[in-house]
Amino acid sequence: MEYEFELRFNLPTDDADAGDLVERLGEAGCDDALIGIGQPGRIALRFTREAESAKSAIVGALEDVKKAIPAAKLIEAGPDFVGLTDVADMLGMSRQNMRKLMLVHAANFPAPVHEGSAAIWHLEPVLQWLRNKGGYDISHEQIDVAHTAMQINLIKAADRLELPMQREVRALVA
Amino acid sequence: MGRDRHPKKEVEEAIRYAEANGWRVEVGGSHAWGRIYCPYNDAECRCGEFCITSIWSTPKNPGNHARQLKRVIDNCTTRQRIEEARKVAPVGSD
Repeated sequence: MEYEFELRFNLPTDDADAGDLVERLGEAGCDDALIGIGQPGRIALRFTREAESAKSAIVGALEDVKKAIPAAKLIEAGPDFVGLTDVADMLGMSRQNMRKLMLVHAANFPAPVHEGSAAIWHLEPVLQWLRNKGGYDISHEQIDVAHTAMQINLIKAADRLELPMQREVRALVA
Repeated sequence: MGRDRHPKKEVEEAIRYAEANGWRVEVGGSHAWGRIYCPYNDAECRCGEFCITSIWSTPKNPGNHARQLKRVIDNCTTRQRIEEARKVAPVGSD
């Protein structure tokens, strides 16, 4: 199967120039990704990768990038954190219709991870909800890749986890 | 217009599409064939990292590569159209 996903990285400040990094990524087998180098100190890769599962696609891609640029630090794997517009675009519907759908089903639509001037969701529960509701053409692969990207982001976030506090508070936030 | 053509037909088409939308093309590299530069590469632009996008000489799948390039350009011009609409709307709204 082909999986589409994006990985964004922070680059060490004193590393080689962008052209050199791209060559190294090419050497490491990232020629199935579109590479963005338009932000200083950042690099983004949009993969369309052939693999047996989303996990082997994304983990394989992380390995390739690590090999090419050992000091690169993952910022975010996607598709995971999304706004309503992103979901609407993915399904080929208008933002207004997506918003209506959310408001009509306010009681059981997945809760956003953050709600402020913009609301952000994890994509996987939204796709699961839409699939259970029926009428939306959502593939197993789409859910698989959203699930895996979310796992990667959670693993990354767990770097900051303080274990004593986790033990103390876990039951309260479950 | 003097620049080298990309050896893969689909990718060359995507590069021409970029040029038609005001993107600048720079040829150079080995694994990389070159780069395209967004004409609106500023703080307002939402292409983010893809304001400068690298193009492979021999992408694993030229069709996918071309499609992804076009998507970057379309996302950017969509943004531009929204910007234009916003600028125009207040004048015509009464």
